[in-house]
Amino acid sequence: MNSAAFASSGLKDPRKINFERNWVRRAVLASYWVVIVLAFPFWWHLTSIERLALPTSQVRTQVQNNIVFPITVHFDGSFTHQNPSIVSQVHTLLRDSATSEHERWKGIDLRLRGADDEEAFDSYTVVLGERTSIAHSRQLRVSETDAQSAKRLSCLLSDLIANSESSISHSQRIVQYSDHYRLAFTLLHENATPRRFVETWDVQNALAEFVLPLLSKLSVLHNFTVESQVQYHAPLAFEPKRIFLGETEVSGLTQEDLTVFINSAEWTLSSSVSNDPVLHFVLFVPSETHAPLKIIDGEGRPTSQNSFLLPQWGGIFILNDELDSPSSHLSQDKLEPVFRNFAIQLAALLGVPPVPLGLSVGERPILSDWQLDALLRRRALQNVQGTQDTLYSIVKLVDQIDNMPVGQVVRDDILDALASLHEAYRAAATSPAIALRWSSKALSVASRAFFNPGMLALLYFPAEHKYAVYTPLFASISVPLVVALIREFMA
Amino acid sequence: MLRASVWISLAYLLTPSLSLENYKEDLRVQPLRDGRVSTAFSFVTVLDGVVPRNPTALEQPDESQHYALFPLTLGQILREYAITELHLTLNAGKWNYDDWGHPLEASVRTGAELWAWMGASEVTTVDERWSGLRNALSGLFCASLGSLDSRRTTSPVVAFPLSGSTPPFAQHELRHASLPSENVCTENLTPFLKLLPCKSRAGLAALLNPQKVFDADWHGMGVHVIWKEGTGVELKLTLQAVFNPARSSAGKRRDWSLQSLFDRSIERSCPVASSSSVSVVLPEEVNYQITPQIAHVEGSAIYDLSSSSNSTIPSNIAMHWPSEHSFQYPMPPLQPLTPLSVKRTLHGTTQTRGVLSVSITNNSPQEISAGYLEIIPALLTLWMHTLEVETNSEIRSDLLSDLKYQPPSRQPNGHLSPSMVQAVLTIPPKSTLKISVEVNKAFLKYTEHPPDAMRGWELPGAVFFPLPQSANNISSSYDWEMIYTPTLLVDLPTPDFSMPYNVIILSCTLMTLIFGSFFNLLTRKWVVVEIKE
Repeated sequence: MNSAAFASSGLKDPRKINFERNWVRRAVLASYWVVIVLAFPFWWHLTSIERLALPTSQVRTQVQNNIVFPITVHFDGSFTHQNPSIVSQVHTLLRDSATSEHERWKGIDLRLRGADDEEAFDSYTVVLGERTSIAHSRQLRVSETDAQSAKRLSCLLSDLIANSESSISHSQRIVQYSDHYRLAFTLLHENATPRRFVETWDVQNALAEFVLPLLSKLSVLHNFTVESQVQYHAPLAFEPKRIFLGETEVSGLTQEDLTVFINSAEWTLSSSVSNDPVLHFVLFVPSETHAPLKIIDGEGRPTSQNSFLLPQWGGIFILNDELDSPSSHLSQDKLEPVFRNFAIQLAALLGVPPVPLGLSVGERPILSDWQLDALLRRRALQNVQGTQDTLYSIVKLVDQIDNMPVGQVVRDDILDALASLHEAYRAAATSPAIALRWSSKALSVASRAFFNPGMLALLYFPAEHKYAVYTPLFASISVPLVVALIREFMA
Repeated sequence: MLRASVWISLAYLLTPSLSLENYKEDLRVQPLRDGRVSTAFSFVTVLDGVVPRNPTALEQPDESQHYALFPLTLGQILREYAITELHLTLNAGKWNYDDWGHPLEASVRTGAELWAWMGASEVTTVDERWSGLRNALSGLFCASLGSLDSRRTTSPVVAFPLSGSTPPFAQHELRHASLPSENVCTENLTPFLKLLPCKSRAGLAALLNPQKVFDADWHGMGVHVIWKEGTGVELKLTLQAVFNPARSSAGKRRDWSLQSLFDRSIERSCPVASSSSVSVVLPEEVNYQITPQIAHVEGSAIYDLSSSSNSTIPSNIAMHWPSEHSFQYPMPPLQPLTPLSVKRTLHGTTQTRGVLSVSITNNSPQEISAGYLEIIPALLTLWMHTLEVETNSEIRSDLLSDLKYQPPSRQPNGHLSPSMVQAVLTIPPKSTLKISVEVNKAFLKYTEHPPDAMRGWELPGAVFFPLPQSANNISSSYDWEMIYTPTLLVDLPTPDFSMPYNVIILSCTLMTLIFGSFFNLLTRKWVVVEIKE
């Protein structure tokens, strides 16, 4: 139909109508697409996950680094006078040991100095004495016979400086480092009856006498909260073996029994108030039917041991003494063996290195500075390794999982951990105690970053879920839009 | 610096905190007039000479805690958050004041109720410690106390005053919250029993058989810690249960014995209890028998069970009515046993509006003044201008005085705090006072609904409490104690949670349809088609 026909029929030509022009239609279509294109960046920004860049290269270099504690051992003049070559002999022996036992000497840079060298301020010294012993702080006295043997000397020094973790079970019983521990002392009756029960115990004086000196020594490493309670009914979860020793009958605990000794369902030992690790020390009073309760060895014979240690948990002492029923009070004297034992168990749990064989401790019996320094070094080294592992894991995890958000908090924590780690490396040269404090901070900040709850946010909301919500709207809307576009291009 | 702190902490450790501990237990049994038997256990541990922790010194290390009888797990919580006074109750059921009278332990609010008095401090705020306390207690008692957050917390100091003494060290503040929907069950009783020195193995607590206690018509437990100057910290653990022997016995008799109520017996006494006794409140009628026979003291029979007493432990205490074939419920109308009876209802037909009405009846021939406390979560908005007080079908606004209304306020975490209404009511003798107020129900976001959204929300009960005695008050013969009303269920507008994906698809289809037609209209090319004839 031509325009004339339109005119004659009285209808308008659709092509002449204002809104039916081609460019109007195209503008409408284009405006839709412009909105979509402009909206896309906003949508992308709003639905994307915040993933800040982590200092990956810094983490990788720090993981390569190692903390090094320089140690200087000074040999006294009287010593070298006797046998001038002894220092170099000891030095070669120690160097051999360092290369063969790499793990043990990790992080230690040992130097030996003879008499002629300038004496450093806080170095360890070895002098001649009447018998082999640890004298005052950081001084080792060696008897004349021991001083002759380079082997003996190198053995002593390596045990004092780099204590070997003799077996895996030994190193596994040490609790993980924390700057605050709760020590819970419990007097636990299996079953209190009027004939066999302790109503009160002189726990505060016993603690002050036997445990607090150790705690004050260890206060460089940890803070402690001490608490105690008495429980009158705490049954065992198993029935101990009955064994006959001639006339008398005793109850026995086998090695398997010891592993399930703690009845955590019925003994109210746990604390719900803080996240600090708790070390439990239990004085167990067996019931009338089970007393005396002995620990038996592999061949079924009762041993004289009354106590045992549960790795990373605490210690238990079984009270087999006769109780004089009317008083029902444990005095400090009676508690002495118990609390001496608890102090030893506590030292073992915290990883205090033992004094080498054949070495008397001298006038300061609790903990020598040699042991304390070795402990500080070991804990600092462990913390540094823990921090390195944690940081490396975070970086690897973030690399692997694309949907994992990384917020400012996590990034700051990682930077903070790296800085603390750096400080720890620097402080190691001067003071192991300061190095430990920095390494402990680095570890806690690194684990805080690792366990940051913000990193989990989208782990359980996968992209597929998003598409399932979007498709019903966007797929059906896009069809007319695309078709109109194609039609416009075809025309 | 380090050395100094070491010595300070050592000094703390060495401080001899000589505390004498004392433990008492008792059980009170009272036959009720409707054939039920009310039993109330109370276990009291007193720490002599111990003072609550001073909250202004919270950053310093605390003195070490050494307890023999006091539970360490609770002591740690009290000291960690420097709590001066603590009350926690977990109850199930509705206490029938009219037939049972006042309970032996006053706190009988349905569900969980927790209130604590704490000293203010700049180290950590009272609210931070309140939140820590809630979480620690919910861990200890396996209860959902963690949800007692700012949406439920208020500070009604008149109704819940300090029951002990006020420590001199700080200004004290109250935090109170209740959770009516909390279910009380065995998992709460087990940790409760662990707080007792003899657990449930000796002494009175040996009777506490969960199967029987939780089968009772009403049961509840409470933990109360108060500090009294001159005495020390007192921990009182209570457990109440109302049994119905006429229901459980075959012959519908109201005879009871400890064995039949609890299905257990006391075999030995707790060796550390300084006193241990069972007292039976004897009914006023005379046709009963009680075994074993014992001399009566002021209308009750008291049996001493402590290990120090020479008498042997009575194996079973029983009461029976030999002349009665089966128990006959007393005929109504019965005079209520408490001077006040309260009814509270929420009515209205829609899901958006309603009327909260409370009717209080004074059963005594004397005028009673009562404090009235209503704590309403922000689920309901009260229209205070519609508040009406009515007695004998006439409006009497003068009977309600000292009205205090605290509207809901937005908390820093975005939640709304509850609204609180506090007033003094004067109820004329032998008459009923009716209070009504219109309410709006909230429209919640879908994430704010609980998992069982269709069930509705529970509204905590109102509290009526005697006012502090003033000098001119003479109504001592009508002594009464705090009264809790039962909870109410609010039906809020609830969305259909069952098919979110269907809803997405349906609404998207609709949107596409609308979009498609618009788009078509805008971009369609109109042509005239010539039809050849």
